[in-house]
Amino acid sequence: MSRVFSLAVAVLALGASSASGSSAAAAAPATPVAVALGLGHPLLQAGVVRGRDVILARGFEVELARVLARRLGTRIDRFAYVPSTRRLLASGTSSWQLAVAGIERASSTGARLSASYLTTDVAVVARRGMERPRRLADLRSGVGCATRGSAGATVLSSLRLRTTPVVVAGHNRLRDLLRTGACDVALVPAFEVGRFVAGHQALLGPVVGRIRHGDGLGVLVRTGAGQDVGTVNAALTQLRRDGTLGRLARGWLGLDPATLPRLR
Amino acid sequence: MAGTTGREPNGAGVRTLGVALALIALAVPVDAAAKTRHVWFLDAAQPTPVQRTAPGVPALVRSLLAGPTKRERAEGLRSAIPIGTTIRGVRIERRVVTVDLVARFASGRDERLLTARVGQLVRTLRGVPGVLGVRVRIEGGVPVGLFPGYDLRRPVVEPLAEARAPSLRATQRLLADLGFMAPTGVTGREGDETSTAILAFEKWKGLPRDGVLDKDVTSALLLTTRPSPSRSRLGRRVEIHLGRQVALQIVDDRVVRVFHISSGAGGATPSGSFRVYRKERMSWSVPFSSWMPWASYFVGGIAMHEYWPVPSYPASHGCIRMMARDAPLMYTFATHGTPVDVLWEGA
Repeated sequence: MSRVFSLAVAVLALGASSASGSSAAAAAPATPVAVALGLGHPLLQAGVVRGRDVILARGFEVELARVLARRLGTRIDRFAYVPSTRRLLASGTSSWQLAVAGIERASSTGARLSASYLTTDVAVVARRGMERPRRLADLRSGVGCATRGSAGATVLSSLRLRTTPVVVAGHNRLRDLLRTGACDVALVPAFEVGRFVAGHQALLGPVVGRIRHGDGLGVLVRTGAGQDVGTVNAALTQLRRDGTLGRLARGWLGLDPATLPRLR
Repeated sequence: MAGTTGREPNGAGVRTLGVALALIALAVPVDAAAKTRHVWFLDAAQPTPVQRTAPGVPALVRSLLAGPTKRERAEGLRSAIPIGTTIRGVRIERRVVTVDLVARFASGRDERLLTARVGQLVRTLRGVPGVLGVRVRIEGGVPVGLFPGYDLRRPVVEPLAEARAPSLRATQRLLADLGFMAPTGVTGREGDETSTAILAFEKWKGLPRDGVLDKDVTSALLLTTRPSPSRSRLGRRVEIHLGRQVALQIVDDRVVRVFHISSGAGGATPSGSFRVYRKERMSWSVPFSSWMPWASYFVGGIAMHEYWPVPSYPASHGCIRMMARDAPLMYTFATHGTPVDVLWEGA
């Protein structure tokens, strides 16, 4: 499954429609908003579903929603539970105006996707003692491994390695293969790589870089509901520039995947 | 009279009290036995049962939430459940216990602790006769993604297996991953191939050489990376480590296999860099009047070949003895001209 579903945030205007535009949003008094979570990927968001709400929400995307709401001059009133992207996109009649969603692509007349706040690239972890690969071509002579059905497996199949790639069931087995040298490189979704190597650095090689895959996870902005995609893009750019996104990524994911060099 | 009348009722009272005490004495063990259950705590991160007497499921959960006693703590028992966690409600329906806990149960970000606390709860309640599953609720809601490894949207029937010693099959898989045995040897059954692989691993790691899968071998296997060659050179080659008594097959600086060997006793095998110069499928040793199958000669009359026995120490007249299973593999690998580096390093 190439698409990482981690539906994050749909901001619902609880009050009447508000003015759009960054200056207007910043100047407006804090209008409580509701944020919808899909709870699709535990690394990005988790919580307790009670009725249609999520309580005790936590995770990278949850924190991102909180800081983004602050940057947009609003605050989160509640987290709503929308368990699938399809339902979110289909809810044309719902009152949500902004979905800062962990969605790679969204085709909807009622919403637009913002710039990416988290990469969907695939990170490359080398085995210990291996000469550090610097280009994609350096990977071709080694044994590549990934978990079944992951973005890593998709990328692995497109790399045209000289040996047959090894695809395994889970991260534990993948880590074993890398540690024991049965694999030369492991391909792991970049936002998961911090957790993949955490606590095992001494037994694994370095995270050498990332390979482009997908367009990243973006914010879904509902048209005509008080926020516009330009405002959200500007806020995300600012969050990236001032290091907030990097700090959140390091805190929740163990590593900021955006800092990894791209292998070409 | 007053004294007599006063004594009569007293005597009856004593008898009644005695009967009552006797009944209580009879009843208590039965009652206690019926309600003595286990709550699960952690001893060095491993789930450990402790007896508690609780009149019902809610009381049992409360005992668990209360954590180990002072004495138990002194003995090293711990609980992953945060102190101060309380119950909001307990319900039993169709042999599934639903426990609703306060938010504190889900506090913290340490994944191992979060997983362990659900494990403690599930183990404790699954120990109650008749209970088939445990449903965990937090503040009346369904936790999603908060407790790694558990899908709490449905009742939990079994706790996650804790990290413990790997199975024989998993051990064999690790040995194969590390190059100490062929992948075909991963069978889940004990045998000579596994013992030989363990022996080679013990030699490489400097562990006692007995070929037995014990605690030291297991823990070393979980923390070991693939052996790396002592020298760097592209292509196929062989390294023989006289100290460790192993032979490495290396391709482009990557160790592909590690073999248990026995070299020359008393330093009879010379160290140095050589090349395979002669190969004989069945070689006859004139000085020792003995067949040496799968012989690859690399210096003088010294070869890598099959022989029995292959002890864990240097025992030959100079040749490299190999197991019957391994010798053909080395024979095929070490073609004419293959470099053979014989190294001496401390065992």
